[in-house]
Amino acid sequence: MIFKNTQNRFGLIAIVLHWIMALLMIGLTALGLCMVRMPISVQKLQFYGWHKEFGILVLMLVIVRLTWRLRNMNPSLDAIPAWEELAARSVHWAFYFFMFAMPITGWLITSAADLPVSFFGLFTLPNLVAANEANRVFYSEIHAWVGYAFIAVFCMHTAAALKHHFINSDAILRRMLWP
Amino acid sequence: MAIKKIIFLILLIFPSFCLATSWQIISNKSSIHFSATQNNSPITGEFKNFSGDIEFDPNQLSKSHIKIIVDIDSVATSFKDVQDALKTADWFDVASFPKATFSADDFKKTGDDTYAANGKLTLRNKTMPITLNFKLIKYTDNEAMISGKTELKRSDFDVGKGEWSSTKQIKNEVVVNFEIEAQKNDAK
Repeated sequence: MIFKNTQNRFGLIAIVLHWIMALLMIGLTALGLCMVRMPISVQKLQFYGWHKEFGILVLMLVIVRLTWRLRNMNPSLDAIPAWEELAARSVHWAFYFFMFAMPITGWLITSAADLPVSFFGLFTLPNLVAANEANRVFYSEIHAWVGYAFIAVFCMHTAAALKHHFINSDAILRRMLWP
Repeated sequence: MAIKKIIFLILLIFPSFCLATSWQIISNKSSIHFSATQNNSPITGEFKNFSGDIEFDPNQLSKSHIKIIVDIDSVATSFKDVQDALKTADWFDVASFPKATFSADDFKKTGDDTYAANGKLTLRNKTMPITLNFKLIKYTDNEAMISGKTELKRSDFDVGKGEWSSTKQIKNEVVVNFEIEAQKNDAK
């Protein structure tokens, strides 16, 4: 079956979720770093709007992804040394942490600023906490530092994938490209 | 001397002919909130300081009139960046236009305890006719409370100039909600 994972291969669902979320998170990180440095303008406001709704999309998708992950076998990493397997698995779970922590801390910031998130004009999310300037600053700090940690882990993950593909010439990266 | 006495007498008697009951706004029980739309979601704020002359009697609507003066510099939003932005020249321009004024002397009964006040709002340097719809929640010998709202178009008052005049990210419609509690003026 092409959709589900097998002992050695990722299924189509896992692959599609991986790349959609990779694109979203790279885009959100770039947008986030850029928009916070902009002076106030219509463009800045538009960027914040996109950052919030696509961030919430990540939160929705990670719930689907985690459910899929827990109900599926995970392809083995037997071919690599135990420490590499441990490192790879730790990085994967770190990403699940980021995929939840980034949108939730972002939602907390915008709640504390009393600027609720509209999800592509379809509905407006409730505020998680009451408006409070000190809390807004606090959540912003957490969001930023979790974001920097995400960038560090992203670099490790990408470097490892490229190393396996170009230096070890194994199938680690290729099996995430096509089932 | 006779003329002075007559004028004095007229001044003394005149208010009781032309004024309905006079009210004093109780500041800490009154509020003016607004709600606009940015990126499809609500953005709310309030004007903390305002004062007014209110002569209102539901049984003497033709003699009623109000004038509310809003201190624009008292605009407040939860997110301070928004509050600061609203005070700049592109928005309320508080340095040039520190006050907004609403005055009305045309009142109509629209329901059992609901009324419409047709008047004029001056905001920045624009004056436009607007209607406040309000409900008389409490009306006793000493205390009165009203609650109501009106909808404005920010473009009518040049609120949001330059690139902000685009109504794509920040919509044109702004809803203003107010709750005014007042006590009877003993002086008059």
